[in-house]
Amino acid sequence: MTKTLLAATALCSVLAGAATAQTYDIRVWSGGSSAADSYRWEAIEMAADILEREAAIRGEEISINVEYMWEFGGWAEFKQAVTLAAEAGDAPEIVVTSHLDIAPWSQAGYIVPVEDYLDLDAWPLSDVYPNLMDIAAYGGVQWGVPQDAESRPFFFWREHMRAIGYTDEEIDALPEAVLNGEYTLQNVLEDATRAVEMGLVEEGMGFSPRVSNGPDFAQFYQSFGGEFYDAETGKLVLDRAAMTEFYQFFVDAVEAGVTSRTHIGTDWNEWYADVANGNAAMWHGGTWHYGRYIREGNEDFFGTIAFTLIPSGGGETGRANTITHPLVYLVTDQGDDELQGIAAQLVEIATEPRINTLHAIKSAHLAVAESQSIVPLYAQDPWADAATSVLLPHANSQPNHPDYGVYSEAMWSGLESAWTGVQTAEQAVAELEAELVTVLGDQLIVR
Amino acid sequence: MRQDRIGFLFLTPALIAVVIFYLLPVVMTAVFAFTNMSTATGIRGGGYLVTEQTLRDLSGHGLTGATLSQLADAGYEVDTEGLAALAATFGDRLAGHIEAELGGESFATSRELERALRDLRAPELRITRDRKQAASLFQRSVLNIRHDTADALRDELTGAGIPGGDHDMIIEAAYTGWSWTMRNFELLLSLPSTARYALNTLIYVALTLVLFNVGLGLLLAIATFYLPKPSAAVFRAIWFMPRILPPVLYVLMWKWLMWDNGFLASALAPFGVERINWMLHSEYHAWVAIILINGVVGASFGMIIFASAIKAIPQTLLMAAEVDGATRWQQVRYVILPQMRWPILFVTAYQTLSLLASFEYILLSTGGGPGSATEVWAMAAFRTALNNYGGNLQYGMGATFALVLVIIGTVLSLLYLRFFNFQALLAKPRIER
Repeated sequence: MTKTLLAATALCSVLAGAATAQTYDIRVWSGGSSAADSYRWEAIEMAADILEREAAIRGEEISINVEYMWEFGGWAEFKQAVTLAAEAGDAPEIVVTSHLDIAPWSQAGYIVPVEDYLDLDAWPLSDVYPNLMDIAAYGGVQWGVPQDAESRPFFFWREHMRAIGYTDEEIDALPEAVLNGEYTLQNVLEDATRAVEMGLVEEGMGFSPRVSNGPDFAQFYQSFGGEFYDAETGKLVLDRAAMTEFYQFFVDAVEAGVTSRTHIGTDWNEWYADVANGNAAMWHGGTWHYGRYIREGNEDFFGTIAFTLIPSGGGETGRANTITHPLVYLVTDQGDDELQGIAAQLVEIATEPRINTLHAIKSAHLAVAESQSIVPLYAQDPWADAATSVLLPHANSQPNHPDYGVYSEAMWSGLESAWTGVQTAEQAVAELEAELVTVLGDQLIVR
Repeated sequence: MRQDRIGFLFLTPALIAVVIFYLLPVVMTAVFAFTNMSTATGIRGGGYLVTEQTLRDLSGHGLTGATLSQLADAGYEVDTEGLAALAATFGDRLAGHIEAELGGESFATSRELERALRDLRAPELRITRDRKQAASLFQRSVLNIRHDTADALRDELTGAGIPGGDHDMIIEAAYTGWSWTMRNFELLLSLPSTARYALNTLIYVALTLVLFNVGLGLLLAIATFYLPKPSAAVFRAIWFMPRILPPVLYVLMWKWLMWDNGFLASALAPFGVERINWMLHSEYHAWVAIILINGVVGASFGMIIFASAIKAIPQTLLMAAEVDGATRWQQVRYVILPQMRWPILFVTAYQTLSLLASFEYILLSTGGGPGSATEVWAMAAFRTALNNYGGNLQYGMGATFALVLVIIGTVLSLLYLRFFNFQALLAKPRIER
């Protein structure tokens, strides 16, 4: 009898507890992610645990269920999934996506500003690099929080550079020389040509660019002084001269035999294997490729490879640069204000240095906050440490503008035409201009 | 009458399928084609949101400077109205405290006001959420607040003291959703790229159709007809393989064949032929590759249809021809081909439509390259509407591309029916007239 009573009492108290505990279901969808990026959602799970404990200490009982999804096939499928879910009123509460989605998604009303829920002046958000915070803002509103940072540097195979005639000291000084505009894209062409002529690499492997469209190519437009965005008017900018020189650089590379005319569309695995093992003299890629080099059998990254900003195109307007294309945490307009508040708080906690560092190091990305550099895991990682100091201070981003997607697709199309010899650089730029002027109308400034 | 009803009953499932899977998508495509719908505008319709960009756009369209600065600079005011609202929510003590410290001050952004509130270190405002709620009570700016209806924004504008004459212009600029437009069609006519997609599609459909889907199909059907039965079956089965292979695998095998370190390049290298990417070396290489890849798949369809049609030709006709001393060629020319008109019509019409809409083999092999030399209309529709790295998918424009395809397909089908005199096939036999 006593036993039954006790059991009943226990059951009642459990039920009562369950009834008073506020339950929140949070779904996290992460785009462009692989298993190595697991902390994009695991950080939210950790944050949920912390938030529950904090609430318990305050005497509130909350329960947060985190569900995640990251296998979408590709970016296109992910973006379709999120937008269709949002249209159907069933969007995940948190998405991890490109900062370029902020402009269209905020206009469409799919997302809510995190600044409505979070104190941007308080730790940990106050500690996030201001330029990264700006990249997650649009129209003066803080829509998201940077989830990671990366950058897209230029790489040199040390052994080939030595064979061409550079001393070790000169190779080590390359980052400085590139930054100061002393080593330019013209030098890249010359050295790559020498590497091919001397038989160090096969023809077409002097300079091996990224094999598909991506933010990387926007860097070469910037190398020749090109700008994408006019902050004053909020319009996109097409700089004809810079665009022509940028296209011409790839045309010249093909003509010199250092880059293959049919390079676009090369299998990624083949490309990774080539650049990680000295089959290319120079190339450009992402900071997160670092982990991949080891998997491709290159155990000595720093001993075999040197990296710099993307060199300037020369001339007065040219500038060395690198683009960072951070992913951001966004909170969707899903559920009520309270749920959105919880989602925003989870994002805030996930941004704390120790938690974000887990992602940064596991996935070979860079820190989003200054104090991550003193988190031991980060500080002890040679690549994170080196890449952060050489690249991140000089990184800029592509503009958050609803029409930038159209611009960047057309720019890539023009580059492909010039690169593959279907059009000359001038023809490709003329067609690009005609296309953009027609489609974007007064949202474009042509210089 | 009863018979009619049974006929319709049997047709119902098919009719429902036609409506759901054909008519509805076509109607939706037609509707979308007359809109500027994109990711940014959303599909269900939009809201009303005045942003910095709205103000910049408005300044270029004649809104007076006074109204513009009124909209831009309103910000946050610690005024009596806000203090009263604050007192109602947080109590008089806090309202008094804020009035004493911040009364009459104005702030450009919520963030600045929140900083000031935090510096007061008031116990009521220790939690971020409360501070934000308090700050929102002083908001006098209409910037960055989303309204579901135009009237809601109008009320807000009226409350902010914006002259009534300017409301319509502001509301129009603030609308975030899609609107009806003919612009997509104007763009199609004026963009240099669309002319190229059209030409590419013509080359792709015409060459694949004539050379392979009909030409080679017919050749294979006739050739296998004259083979002994078992070897004919084996031969046809081999030609059928590409069709049952998953496209990704099938194209991958072509890549292994044609890429610069593939079979072709390696086999020709010892003969001094330069190692090139046979698929992408130039636009001509790409076209040959595309037509071969599609044609080898497409030929088997014609082969099966034509082979069955040839089998249906009464043996007596062929025997009679043989007796009359007709050569093989004469048999083909005067007995077989005249009876192949309907199958050829069917294969031509069906394959034209299927080629017009298909681009998967192009996407997988050349990706539309080199440059956009092999980009066809259907692929442009797909890329515009569903594939954009920058994220703003152009649903309206993509639908316009697709609608043009639907129209061309319908017109071509009608032309084929007329050209092959389809009426004659459907006409009642003379004996029944």
